[in-house]
Amino acid sequence: MNKELIYHPLFIFLLIVLSFMLLVCLIRAVKGPRVADRLMAVNMMGTMVMVMISILALLLREGYLVDICLIYAMISFLSVVVISKVYIGIYEEQHHSQENTEGGNADERG
Amino acid sequence: MNAAEWIRLIAGCLFILIGMVIFFTELFGVFHFKYVLNRMHAAAMGDTLGISACLIGLMIFSGLNFTTLKMFLVIVFLWFASPVSSHVLSRLEAATNDNLSAHCEIYEDVEILERELAAAEREENTEGKEESVS
Repeated sequence: MNKELIYHPLFIFLLIVLSFMLLVCLIRAVKGPRVADRLMAVNMMGTMVMVMISILALLLREGYLVDICLIYAMISFLSVVVISKVYIGIYEEQHHSQENTEGGNADERG
Repeated sequence: MNAAEWIRLIAGCLFILIGMVIFFTELFGVFHFKYVLNRMHAAAMGDTLGISACLIGLMIFSGLNFTTLKMFLVIVFLWFASPVSSHVLSRLEAATNDNLSAHCEIYEDVEILERELAAAEREENTEGKEESVS
């Protein structure tokens, strides 16, 4: 019995299942009421895409695709950290500016 | 296909099945829980355990070569990166939510929490002693 006949349909089936899970993750990212929800969903999607890239590497017999998987992991991690830090910074800035305007109004009244 | 290849196929399929079940549990948990900090618990599971199981299955399929080593590197990287990103996300949530006390208990001072924990521990100890005496 040929190996290809077993592995090829198996990998295609796994890719289909993973893409459905990816779609469900996307629904979470669109629905998520808070920013942390969306970022978390994007992180989950990144994990599933990593598995898909690894499956593709074995399906197409191209070992270098796993390098792309490693780089994808690093960029996904970096994006989560950087977006969180930037969002915290923006939030605190808005908060401080509001406090400052309130304080300024109080001063004017005084 | 000889016997060794059949064993490899079955072992790999088993690991990938475990990984898929964990991914499914992750998705179920993410839609089941009501708040981000609860959801994060389910989401962090797939980042480490789910992808580890899936990639170990694929490593068994691919055999001993550089592809296997790179997949192992992906797993090791995610072991370190996933807790850090979860921590950063929960800090984002704690820093930007003004109404956090509606979802979980907040202690402004760590000493209050420590005192309460110590009191609870003392109560448990005294209860245990009474039970043992009686």
